Amino acid sequence: MRTPLGRVRSLGSARTGTAEARIVHLTSVALVPLTIGFVWLMLDLLLKDYNGVRAELTHPIPAILLLAFILAGIVHMELGMRSIIVDYIGGQPRAWALASNTCFAALLALACLYATLRVAFT
Amino acid sequence: MAMSIAHRISGAALYVGVLLLAWFLIAASADASSFSLFSDFIDSFIGRLVLFLFTWALFHHLVGGLRHILWDAGYGLDAPLRDQMAWATLIGGFALTVLVWIVGAAVR
Repeated sequence: MRTPLGRVRSLGSARTGTAEARIVHLTSVALVPLTIGFVWLMLDLLLKDYNGVRAELTHPIPAILLLAFILAGIVHMELGMRSIIVDYIGGQPRAWALASNTCFAALLALACLYATLRVAFT
Repeated sequence: MAMSIAHRISGAALYVGVLLLAWFLIAASADASSFSLFSDFIDSFIGRLVLFLFTWALFHHLVGGLRHILWDAGYGLDAPLRDQMAWATLIGGFALTVLVWIVGAAVR
């Protein structure tokens, strides 16, 4: 009953693979300066206590840097893990692994963005 | 070849490591007692170790990623340079990690 197309669908990295690879590359280039900025920010926050950390994150530049790092980083890691899953896991477990990966990344991104914005807007 | 799997391992480590960043941000957005729970963990031996490994994974993956960007642009694919770049990734990633920790210890 299954068509040849139905049999191969979601089994390989073709079709949307090019778009995926482009986003991996785009985020990887963006993450070079963003990671340097992130490490710089974390070294700065190391000196601060609870109130100091919160005060720092109300400034636009650290907050925007952090938001950009989270967004690019989590998109990049979701796609990176997707390629690891596709390489090592097959069949039905692959579908579950891919879905879990996307849900985990989405929740993590929402949590990080929400927390950053909450501090930034106080 | 071994550096390819190292890139994946460091990437997977960062995947888990981002939970630490999420904890930090959520704690900072909650209240002072949540934040002190996080900073107590980071100040503990295990916390320091996890943070050090996170830093190492971050820099290893960053330098390894630069290598991939160079390859995509068509540079560094020849044998001698390719091997030198593999070593540079391993040594550079670790050196940057140690450098950042020295700076961190100095400012603190």
